[in-house]
Amino acid sequence: MRISDRRFALYLMAPAALFLAVFVAFPLFRLITDSFFKISPIAGGPRDFVGLDNYINAFASEAFTGAGWRTLAYTLIVVTLEFALGLGMALLFTMLGRSSQIWRTVFMYPLMIAPIVAGLLWKFLMIDNFGLIGTVLHQAGILDNPNQIGWLSDPDIVLYSVAIPDIWLTTSFMCLVLFAGLQNIPGDLIEAARLDGARAPALLFRIILPLLRPVIAVALVVRGIDAARAFDTILIQTNGGPQSASETMSLLIYRTMIRFGDPGLASAMGTIYLLAMLAVAFVAVATIWRPGKDN
Amino acid sequence: MRVAERIKHDGGTAAKAAKAPSAPAAVVPPRKRRGVNREGLEAGRRSTRTLLWVLLAAAMVLYGFPFLYLLFTSFKTPIDTIAVPPTILPREWTLENYTSALGRNGVLASFINSIQTAVISTVLSLVLAVPAAYGITRYKTLSGRIFIMAALVTRMVPPVAIGIPLASMMGSVGLSDTPIALSIAHTTISLPLSIWLMSSFFEAVPKDLEEAATVDGCSRLGALWRVVIPVVSGGIAVTAIFAFLASWNEFLFALLMTAIRSQTTPVVIANFQTQFGLDWGSMTALAAVYSIPVILLTLLLQRKIVAGMTLGAVKG
Repeated sequence: MRISDRRFALYLMAPAALFLAVFVAFPLFRLITDSFFKISPIAGGPRDFVGLDNYINAFASEAFTGAGWRTLAYTLIVVTLEFALGLGMALLFTMLGRSSQIWRTVFMYPLMIAPIVAGLLWKFLMIDNFGLIGTVLHQAGILDNPNQIGWLSDPDIVLYSVAIPDIWLTTSFMCLVLFAGLQNIPGDLIEAARLDGARAPALLFRIILPLLRPVIAVALVVRGIDAARAFDTILIQTNGGPQSASETMSLLIYRTMIRFGDPGLASAMGTIYLLAMLAVAFVAVATIWRPGKDN
Repeated sequence: MRVAERIKHDGGTAAKAAKAPSAPAAVVPPRKRRGVNREGLEAGRRSTRTLLWVLLAAAMVLYGFPFLYLLFTSFKTPIDTIAVPPTILPREWTLENYTSALGRNGVLASFINSIQTAVISTVLSLVLAVPAAYGITRYKTLSGRIFIMAALVTRMVPPVAIGIPLASMMGSVGLSDTPIALSIAHTTISLPLSIWLMSSFFEAVPKDLEEAATVDGCSRLGALWRVVIPVVSGGIAVTAIFAFLASWNEFLFALLMTAIRSQTTPVVIANFQTQFGLDWGSMTALAAVYSIPVILLTLLLQRKIVAGMTLGAVKG
């Protein structure tokens, strides 16, 4: 007997759907239920229903609101710089044309490096005393002494410093996506604008960027979501310090769960964090992607 | 939205290019357009081009230096790694860091764990994603549309939010601290991505292909297996690379879900910091050994990877 197409499609999707239900949806359900309990970190310890207490505590704690703002600031720093650098490189590669192809490949290499390795690598470059960056700036006469800037030890600038590995890792991605977008801009459009006397800035801001808008939007959203979840690079560089100055949401939740042993509070924080991310994602999906829509 | 659709459409060409290894680089648009583009944005004047090449050289040096410095450091003697002021090149080239890093307890085992975990996770992702993506793109049902949206939403879930419940779930079925448990966790990351990538590859396959096969007496499943899968094998390879990399480089789940038996190398690298004081030499050596295979992989398979990267970004 032949089953209908609709049912056949359903059978094809069922295993993947089941997998995501068991290993994503169910843990999420556990996270949300846990957020209403006061849980002892010891296995088999007491578990008391406390209603919204964990949520109230989360919002009342400076660590949580601080981490929220820092996550936002970190995301903005990473995405803005990455976009500016990525666009610059994409334009450079486009203007050089085919002859730059091999360099485009080489430029991609950081994408394959584990974030943990990237964090380590930049920590080594920025660390006090034997970090190379301070030394080079000192020898170039820019700094009075190699330790003048405490890249990873000064609370005022550490959030920028910890963002560097992330930017270094994924500027290539931004460049790749924008480069692909640039190839789709019809050349005669650029020609026409040039004939009309448009100079480079006008060309960029009036023609190229508006045409790239959808690609830019997608790239920014994809990277924004990733940056807001950053964990590895920050953990290995500063572990959230000094004085929590680089503690973003993922790190705070991790520490609340593991170090401070408060799974209930950590779950409440995780739930709020997740809802915030989903809200952003939902707006993004509704306005940009529209997946599955027939052309 | 229009341009996005055009790019999406171009994604189709990328998918086709990825299938045939002899085709020109995947993200490079069709020949006709490239010619037009040369008159468009490509710089023509000699002086401008020289300036651009200089800029590119500067950017490449700055961008490439950090990893080269890691490599150089890994060949320094342990004392030189933390010399003040630091030198760029080793004063004395030695393999000491490599022998001490690789000889350390648990390091070689962590490599095997990393490979095992990444392979299991890649296979699992493909086995689940290929039929699902086919079901979504070929039949365009409402359930498919809902499913691909749900898979997209999964991408937004912060791993830290589900890591702990997932770890305790694995514990309750007796799988805690095993490569299986970790590869399942990694599949929660790579499966949505794989479904997205495979959907765009299937989208590029003409429908007549399997219609002809079904007319010839193939069942739908037979048509998928014998006709469609061979056509998208290039796309499957791209997806496999991405799933593999996602697992190979993943750290947070590995940190939460493994203890000694199934620890992967990223966790071992991070542990060097606390366990053995600050052993920078060994750390850089291990980081180099762990990164170089995947960097070489990129250079070898760059066309496929570029195709996947752009598709993944534009579609999800």
